[in-house]
Amino acid sequence: MHLFFSRFHGGIALTWAALTCLSCGLRPATAADATVPQDAVQMTIEFLGKDDQAFRAIGLDRIRYGLKGEAATVQFAGLLSKLAPARQAELTAALADRGDRAALPAMLALLMASKEPAVRAAALSGLGALGSGPEVAVLKTSLASADPEKAAARRALTVVRGNDVTPLIVEAAKAGEPSLRPTFIDILADRRAVSALPDLLAAAVDGDPAVRTAAMRALARLGGPEQVTGMVQGVLKAAAGGERDEAERAVVTVCTQNPGKEKAAEALLTQFKAADDSVQETLLTVLARVGGTGAIAIVDGLITDTNTAKRKLGLTALTKWPDATVSQRLLDLLGTSQDQAERDQLLGTLIRIAPLPDNKLNDKQKLELLEKTMSLCKRDEDRRRVLERANAIRTIETLRFVVPYLDDPNLAEPACLSVVELAHHRTIRDANKDEFTKALDKVLATTKNEELIERAERYKQGQTWERKKPAKS
Amino acid sequence: MAYDSASLDKPFDVLKTFDWGGDASALQPIDAAVVAAHGDPAARTDLEKRLAALLGAGTSRAAKEYICRKLSLIGTAASVPSLAALLSEKDHSHMARFALERINAAEATEALRKALGTVQGDLKIGMISSLAGRGDAASVPAIAALLSGESKTAVAAAVALGRLHTPEACQALAAASSVTDKAATAAICDARLACAESLLRQGKRAEAKAIYTSLSETATAGTTPTAQATRLAAARGILACLDTTTTS
Repeated sequence: MHLFFSRFHGGIALTWAALTCLSCGLRPATAADATVPQDAVQMTIEFLGKDDQAFRAIGLDRIRYGLKGEAATVQFAGLLSKLAPARQAELTAALADRGDRAALPAMLALLMASKEPAVRAAALSGLGALGSGPEVAVLKTSLASADPEKAAARRALTVVRGNDVTPLIVEAAKAGEPSLRPTFIDILADRRAVSALPDLLAAAVDGDPAVRTAAMRALARLGGPEQVTGMVQGVLKAAAGGERDEAERAVVTVCTQNPGKEKAAEALLTQFKAADDSVQETLLTVLARVGGTGAIAIVDGLITDTNTAKRKLGLTALTKWPDATVSQRLLDLLGTSQDQAERDQLLGTLIRIAPLPDNKLNDKQKLELLEKTMSLCKRDEDRRRVLERANAIRTIETLRFVVPYLDDPNLAEPACLSVVELAHHRTIRDANKDEFTKALDKVLATTKNEELIERAERYKQGQTWERKKPAKS
Repeated sequence: MAYDSASLDKPFDVLKTFDWGGDASALQPIDAAVVAAHGDPAARTDLEKRLAALLGAGTSRAAKEYICRKLSLIGTAASVPSLAALLSEKDHSHMARFALERINAAEATEALRKALGTVQGDLKIGMISSLAGRGDAASVPAIAALLSGESKTAVAAAVALGRLHTPEACQALAAASSVTDKAATAAICDARLACAESLLRQGKRAEAKAIYTSLSETATAGTTPTAQATRLAAARGILACLDTTTTS
């Protein structure tokens, strides 16, 4: 059968013979196999043609889970070209679930012949479910289409099986259509293609920023200690600003969250120590974001350096620290620093790290640190930030710390917010009902914020309040 | 822990006068003895005898319920007469059935079968349910005879025949075309589907298909949701019967 499909969709034109060849020599639809119960097949086909969705579901269910055998698959797949578009999509999905590769030629033919995006998307999903290496070319091409085909092709490339699939996607990520290279990299990450890690590391220093960013994003998901050295090159290659920030975050993820994170952090430290000054300057932020005792020793050295520029670098690194282990250093520095900009930086860091839920400090210690920080604040702007952060420490002592500020006209609003946020947590509120009632009464007498008023009234009555979800952009 | 009959004298004394609201913890030694009697035939016989003896006495409903629960665990044919005597009593019939349903003795089935012919109303429905629960194929004719009776009983009979799904049960359901009660008709339809599914599971495709086809034909003219659901179920069943490539 050499039926030529003259229609050209998405740059693909294939003959029937080529399609069957692509699908590993699967035989095309032929006369019904003697072993297939034709009465059951015919009944199934009859159901597929019914307007009643319930009957169609019975037929599709039989295709999915019954009437076993390649011959039956070929018979059902042969129907694809004869059905209305909506039914084509239904049948394609059922054939995909059936899991028999014998349906592949018909699915490819449907993809070539149909102009309906939904049908083409269903066919692409089917190719993902049933296909392997030979189908990757079609899926790759379809990735350039618009949704829903693009989304289907992407999903299909993520799930399509076969040992030869990942190398083909790697090839596309390396030398495919430039605008699609980042997508191919994302697909490799979705496939958890660890065999592609060397290629991802190469992509992390690619000339194309979008490719580099995608590669670092993928490495953040798949990388471990062995990839840190290469990822550092990615950070160094990244342009300062958004790209650098994302690249740094990728390294931080590998060093703080992924399996082997301790070894990854060690690798980062080793590489930092071996680097020259200019590289160290770039990597210092990453090192600080990862934290740890090795990194703090380096930062300490910089802070105590007589060179002003190095000291500034050290202080900047300190402000990126991920936990409260540097709190005493920050307090000490605040005690001695005379530079206002430096003091602002240190104070801001203290306010940020004091209530962090990182298990480095217990609630009592967190509150003590926040109280100390408050005592060091000289501007209402900073005090307001302290009060706003306080509600992250969910204890009755925090309420007692915040309540006095309700009387200060300059600090009342952030104090009101923190009281209400603390009251949101029923376990603390119910255990200290009288104190919370008094505090909420004071909030009601103080705030002009309608949402806070509503929340305070609800909490007083023992009711809950549902936080509004941010609007989707 | 070894079984000690004498140590149960006091709990059994409590049981004689036990009622709801009483201290159930006083009966705990009996619970423990029931557990301990597992694998100890002599202990089991002694316990069963002592428990069954209190069923006939002037014990409360609460005490009888307690005893029935224990006999459901350790009862034998020896308990059947005492339990059977309660089957016709409105307050005790349910718990007596609870025990008899679980006692592994032909006498228990026989007692339920006998009671089916004598009790009425809800008690009869209970017997039907228990006989189906025991899978008593011999009770099919008696249960089938109730399909044309009062609505609630007919529904229970249909459900029971569907649960029994023996060839005789299937035939009886198929023959009940004269039933006009709406609830009973729907229950018969469900029961026939259950029979067909059972036959299909056993590989008896032709017999199953005959039932599905009959149901499909009966429901063809109907426009009610029940008729539509029957048509769908039958269609699905027929297709499954025809699909010889798949084991159901």
